Amino acid sequence: MRDKPLLRVENLKTQFVTENGTVRAVDGISFEVYEGEIVGIVGESGAGKSVASMSLLRLVDNPGEIVAGEITYKGRTIFAAEETEDGDRRLQDGVLSAETVRQEIRGNEIAVIFQDPMESLNPVFTIGGQLREFIELNRDLTGDEARKEAIDMLREVGIPDAEARYDEYPHQFSGGMRQRVLIAMALACQPSLIIADEPTTALDVTVEGQILDLVDELQRKYGTSFIWVTHDMGVVAEICDRVNVMYLGEIVEQAPVDELFYETGHPYTKALLDSMPRPDRTVTDLDPIRGVMPEAIDPPPGCRFHPRCPDAREVCRQVHPEPAEIDRVDGFSHRSACFKRDVFDVGYDESPPLDNLARGESERGQEASEVASGGGASE
Amino acid sequence: MRLLRYTLFRFAQAIPVLLGITVILFLFINMTPGDPIRIMTAGQEVSESHLAYLEARYGLDRPIHVRYWDYLSGFFTGDLGRSIHYNRPVSEVMMARIGPTLLLVLSAFLFAVVTAIPLGILAAKRRNQPSDHISRIVALFGVSTPSFWIGIMLIIIFAVQLGWFPSAGLVMPWDAPSDAGLSGYFWHMVDVLHHLFLPMIALGTLQMATIMRVERTQMIDSLQGEYVKLARAYGVSERTILRKHAFQVAQLPVITLVGLGLSTALGGAVLTETVFNINGMGRLLIDSIQQKDYQVVMSVATILAVIFVIGVIITDIAYAYVDPRVTYGEGE
Ligand SMILES: Nc1ncnc2c1ncn2[C@@H]1O[C@H](COP(=O)(O)OP(=O)(O)O)[C@@H](O)[C@H]1O
Ligand code: SF4
Ligand SMILES: [Mg+2]
Repeated sequence: MRDKPLLRVENLKTQFVTENGTVRAVDGISFEVYEGEIVGIVGESGAGKSVASMSLLRLVDNPGEIVAGEITYKGRTIFAAEETEDGDRRLQDGVLSAETVRQEIRGNEIAVIFQDPMESLNPVFTIGGQLREFIELNRDLTGDEARKEAIDMLREVGIPDAEARYDEYPHQFSGGMRQRVLIAMALACQPSLIIADEPTTALDVTVEGQILDLVDELQRKYGTSFIWVTHDMGVVAEICDRVNVMYLGEIVEQAPVDELFYETGHPYTKALLDSMPRPDRTVTDLDPIRGVMPEAIDPPPGCRFHPRCPDAREVCRQVHPEPAEIDRVDGFSHRSACFKRDVFDVGYDESPPLDNLARGESERGQEASEVASGGGASE
Repeated sequence: MRLLRYTLFRFAQAIPVLLGITVILFLFINMTPGDPIRIMTAGQEVSESHLAYLEARYGLDRPIHVRYWDYLSGFFTGDLGRSIHYNRPVSEVMMARIGPTLLLVLSAFLFAVVTAIPLGILAAKRRNQPSDHISRIVALFGVSTPSFWIGIMLIIIFAVQLGWFPSAGLVMPWDAPSDAGLSGYFWHMVDVLHHLFLPMIALGTLQMATIMRVERTQMIDSLQGEYVKLARAYGVSERTILRKHAFQVAQLPVITLVGLGLSTALGGAVLTETVFNINGMGRLLIDSIQQKDYQVVMSVATILAVIFVIGVIITDIAYAYVDPRVTYGEGE
């Protein structure tokens, strides 16, 4: 095993109580982030990636709540609670107070970059003003020092004429430039971990490439760890060291990036990879995943992927697979939550195959269902 | 600098608008039936030649376009003509009346803005809690009740029944007795506020309710913005988010609303002045319409239009000042 992780998430559960029922947006995920690595969280829209990310900062929108699990960061407990018998939660001792998390974790320890650079910046304040505010809040810099740091950072992320642009407003920047500003914001606070929630999804492919290169370079330079959230396996391939594949609130596969691509353990991961546009394939070769991901309010029983899984068998509908280690690479686990692997002794091989969408038996279902693919998932 | 150019540009733009308004007003007033000279001389024995003399004296014998031109040039030189009814220069008649109206409208606005914005923010913050529901009911009552009715109710309850406030008239702050010392001046101001209180609330309630509703909606909207999420994620306190990050963005529509509210407030002032027996421009307008006092009606209406247009321009400029995204209409 490696040294202690920077961030450890264990059995995290975040739920939204709505009129229609309880949305189990994040349903018991566990993963670690080590120093200096980029860890991907990949999955279709609605899988719970954003809710999981924000849970790490204890920022869940109403009516959501982290109901269980443990989040430890540099030995400090950001969150730890257990579900009690009657469905309530009980906070454990030694958990950081909400105020401490705000002052000592958000920004200065863990910073974020959001998806939509158009909406993430406040339209009525200058770029410089916003940068400076966050720098002053999260570092021991004030006034001119903070201003200087802000300008240096703008330069660092490749904004030409940074000094002049410091006083401009967000609407005077292009989408790509705004995303650079957001990256500058995150780095300027000198956090040890940056959560990037689909930061390139709203950008066109060329700009996306530039941003990925920039992050790669800066990550090397500053040694900051990243959690990189995306629905795009192409981005994962380009930037991540290790990957967590999320489906309906759960992590169904977890592996170092090469292992994930070449020794794929889970049918959902395989489906994501097959639907990914690649230079060596024409569009007709793409094999989109059939059907849409069900609602997180009422997830399918057993394996949550079984209605869409080409390999689903009767047992998959009855038993719920927990992720289990199927291999170890460079001291890292490769975990998968699929009965096809031998580590699960539930009688998969003897179980009769299931008729479902993925087998194409239902023509109607095929038409009615939206086609979700890695490149074109609606986001 | 750009803002200054924009300001000049907006004022220049307003000139044709105001000219158009005066033409329409002029035509309207001169086309309504009823002859002012006959109203003025009603019940008296007047010879034809005297009528002709009066017509000439008030300039009513000349063609309409000449009279319009006279009026317009007079307006710019400060000569607004003579009031038939009061038999005094219109400017004098108006000067005596503009104070109370301005005092009433501005204080009503101040009252509205100062109460509505904090209440709106509070309602947004305590969304769907009891205090939010109460404020929404009050706001609904405020926007759906005519100001004159509120005025009458206020008079009945607080002036007639309880006797806490006077039911009529205003006292002008600058009308303090000249020999009043510091304490005399203080008591004069108390008297001013005492008179102003009920009409101010009667006129300001509608504005308050409208602004509060929009403030609440805008704040709720703004608080859900990505930039608020980002600020939270960087450790900004809820207090600062409420006062700075969410607040500034939310004020943009509110500014427009306040500006447009000026027109409804001017309309409301006419009725409020009638209910509270205040000698302002509103009552002057109504009286003059009844008297067919062309010169006065024309001038009062023009002044109100000017005030309104200036209000709109100031609104636009304020908006441009607060919202950096406003393009300055110069085709840049
Ligand atoms: N404020 C909320 N209220 C109710 N449900 C929510 C809320 N935010 C997210 N969800 C639900 O949580 C699930 C996960 O959402 P999200 O984390 O945004 O997905 P992703 O980022 O993977 O696209 C979805 O089913 C979504 O509908
Ligand atoms: S457990 Fe069964 S349904 Fe689930 S992914 Fe594996 S094979 Fe498919
Ligand atoms: Mg998301």
